[in-house]
Amino acid sequence: MKQALELKINGETHDLLLTPNVTLLEAIRDHVGLWGTKAGCGMGTCGACTVLLEEKPILSCITLAVECHGKEITTIEGLSEGVALSSLQEAFVRAGAVQCGYCSPGMILSGTALLRKNPRPTVADIKKALEGNLCRCTGYNTIIDAVLDAGTASSPQLDQGEKK
Amino acid sequence: MSDLKLIGKSVLRRDGPDKTTGKARYTADRQLPGMLICGILRSPHPHAKILNIDCSRAEKLPGVKAIISGKDTLGIKHGFVETPRYPPDQNILASDTVRHVGEEVAAVAAINQKVLDEALDLIEVKYEILPAVFDVVDAMNPDCEVQIHPNHPRVNEPFCNIAGKTETQWGDVEKGFSQADLICSDRFESHLRTHGYLEPQTTLADYNADGTLHLWISSMGPFVKRRKLAKALGMPYASIQIHKAYVGGAFGGKIDLFSHEYCAAALSIKTARPVKFVSSREDVFAAYRHGQPLISEIKTGLKKDGTIVAQQLRMINNAGAYKGSGVVVIFLAWAFSMIPYRVENFKYEGYSIFSNNPPRAPLRGHGAPQVRFALESHMDIIAEKLQIDPIEFRLKNARVAGEELPNRDSVHNCGLQECIQKAVLKTDFIKRRHPFPKFEKPSSLNPLKRGIGLGVSSYFGGSLIYPNSSSAIVKMADDGSVDLLTGAIEMGQGSETVLCQIVGEELQLEMADIRITSADTATTPHDIGAWISGLTYVTGNAVRQAAGSVRDKILKVAAEQLHESVANLTLENKFVFVTTDPERRISYQQIFEASVGTHRGDTIIGEGHWRTMRDEPFHPSLASTKGRWSENYAFSAQVAEVEVDTETGEIKLLKATTVHDCGFPINPQLVKGQIDGQVSLALGHAFMEDVMLKNGYTLNPTWLDYRMPLIHNVADSKDVDVITESYQAGRSFRTKEVGEGLVSAILAAIANAIYDATGLRMYSTPFSPEKVLKGLKLLRVGSKIS
Repeated sequence: MKQALELKINGETHDLLLTPNVTLLEAIRDHVGLWGTKAGCGMGTCGACTVLLEEKPILSCITLAVECHGKEITTIEGLSEGVALSSLQEAFVRAGAVQCGYCSPGMILSGTALLRKNPRPTVADIKKALEGNLCRCTGYNTIIDAVLDAGTASSPQLDQGEKK
Repeated sequence: MSDLKLIGKSVLRRDGPDKTTGKARYTADRQLPGMLICGILRSPHPHAKILNIDCSRAEKLPGVKAIISGKDTLGIKHGFVETPRYPPDQNILASDTVRHVGEEVAAVAAINQKVLDEALDLIEVKYEILPAVFDVVDAMNPDCEVQIHPNHPRVNEPFCNIAGKTETQWGDVEKGFSQADLICSDRFESHLRTHGYLEPQTTLADYNADGTLHLWISSMGPFVKRRKLAKALGMPYASIQIHKAYVGGAFGGKIDLFSHEYCAAALSIKTARPVKFVSSREDVFAAYRHGQPLISEIKTGLKKDGTIVAQQLRMINNAGAYKGSGVVVIFLAWAFSMIPYRVENFKYEGYSIFSNNPPRAPLRGHGAPQVRFALESHMDIIAEKLQIDPIEFRLKNARVAGEELPNRDSVHNCGLQECIQKAVLKTDFIKRRHPFPKFEKPSSLNPLKRGIGLGVSSYFGGSLIYPNSSSAIVKMADDGSVDLLTGAIEMGQGSETVLCQIVGEELQLEMADIRITSADTATTPHDIGAWISGLTYVTGNAVRQAAGSVRDKILKVAAEQLHESVANLTLENKFVFVTTDPERRISYQQIFEASVGTHRGDTIIGEGHWRTMRDEPFHPSLASTKGRWSENYAFSAQVAEVEVDTETGEIKLLKATTVHDCGFPINPQLVKGQIDGQVSLALGHAFMEDVMLKNGYTLNPTWLDYRMPLIHNVADSKDVDVITESYQAGRSFRTKEVGEGLVSAILAAIANAIYDATGLRMYSTPFSPEKVLKGLKLLRVGSKIS
């Protein structure tokens, strides 16, 4: 039996009719058409599918869409403002923290959640926050640099997030 | 060099904004109207005869649109290598026998996942289970009762399951050994690891009524893929158009033709609908290809002063159920063993052996980490036996610039000596390492022991592999900006950025004035692809030539229009001006118009081509190594600093220092990205990653059980670029390899650092806590007895 549900993704409301076994990842990609959220393993082990649910990073591949009814979801597409990148997105590009890019959306969302709660994280804070996101290309050093860099930069968007 | 505009600068990568905002489209991110999904039925047995495949119940299931099995294919085989000696040996779908768990038996196209899963369950396959063999020593045993394929017809030796052999020698190895003061023999084993690309294997196929098959594939190069796929489908190559898609990592694991690519294509042709295939992560672990486990047996003869007078190597590769790249890795293992040091008398034998495990693919470094781990550990062992300094020992035997290798390749601007010296200086190596012998070191109560070790490696950049050449086109737009058309594929390494930097340098353009169209078989020229470590070198030079040709045309027209000779003109920011009188100038836009007006409508298009080893007809023999191989050798020395917890057996890589000679680095930030990634891969190789196979089944097919480095396992990675003298003399495009070779010496360095810290010599990877604790216990017992 399909269920009607409302997903608030990046501030826009989507009315969907889904069977209860559809994951949030499938809803975001196949039903809403936002392809920035990636599927790496489908079993919650790689972090590529990370999105923010009420500001908290979660693994959308092991979250059912019906559980998210009425809740605020942020995907990678919700971080940039028009063509302007968020300070963390920009820091990723500047630091060389992007290679194949498949882990980047999840990494950046985990990093954004951290920075919104803790705008001046230590390296240990960053490692803790990003421990669920696998990256095979970079060896992680530049990713840590990017989060540190964005953390010290002041960003209106991040500050806004902080107030919530 | 100071007048360079873009080359040598850390220009930010072009795909950065797309990849950080979620706009970058990978193959799985493409949807087409009416699209079906494809699933594959795989063998549950490591070795079995197929007696019957019954698809009738599955076919009747509503929502199932097509099913194919072996009998629906043309029976055309494919292989990683397709040569007369090593003809293709893999069926696209199994015909009468399956030889490994996960071998593809049938494929289904259905309207959704639920129907697809049910249909795969309804296909009934009757198997007769055959005896199987998994261990390489068992498989090659002359008495082995399991014959997976007939022995290679040209290897007449008392072994079983021989997929291939590489054999070569020079000098007189027996005579060399007879003159040696010391003969030292060691045996090393490397285990099975996998690529760990984040994006699963994915293909989208869309067959059109006009006979064109459109494809999006997560691959390492569209032209190699297209040729193999077209052959298997029996289609003209050019009726297949592979479109560009971003690639979420490959590391060697996406170069072969895979059954799912054929199946998606064949099912799209059969149903006249788009068909998408996305592999599950469990299948990537349990049914797809991994790297190459290798056994290295080494015997070296030496003079007291450390001169290597003879060396004999025997490498044994467990190839899995088909040749895969197993018959290549035994060639490469020879190559990676002979580059760094001079050995007067040398004998090499490499065996690739069939077993009932999944077949193997290249994995970043393709044999080099296994070989260098063995040889660099062996070098340290020898140095201790001879009581000579291991650094002096290496420097004494290390190649120098201009030297000729035994296969007649030249190492040109080899910076190996400098790499070793700088690595030692940079890390304060001599002062920090513990003196030989390690055992006599006073034992302190602190269970944490630190050590430092060094390794050396060399890697080739580009060889003669299909299509043996890269071409590129640069065309000017009517506003004076340019378009670059290249078949090169961006899979994370930054190829699009690097290639645009080259165009910008030649034409003195800003990055924003260069657009790139890439990796599309219909609109871009042929390209070797992003493998054999040749992209920046081979495609980069093609692009340089194409841009140079545009530059020549620009200057010719400008000279005509300004009534000046070309020699007096300077290019700058889309203008050409008279060097001595910069007021006299003409814009690229005006040059475009003038060229059209005065050169029969020429809209200024340049083309470039680059064939590495251009005077050589073929790739060298995989069997005998005869023939020249590469004109481009990069060198490196890497130092590892480790901390061993002697109570838990856990080891940490604290710091990796990479000193490398990669020619002229076009983009230092991208070079650094390659180095860091390789250090991390080596760290996983050394301590964490292990594909555990039992009877052909993968016991750990998830990332929870196959442990890849997490952000907690990060190592401090520093690098020093050795730009040898001849690379500083204004030849700013002379690049070498940097994307693969640096996974190797660091692995050896880690092993040598563990020895330095504890006196424990590691003879096999991974350096797991169990192995370390067991080894340390044996050492303690041994020292008590003595």
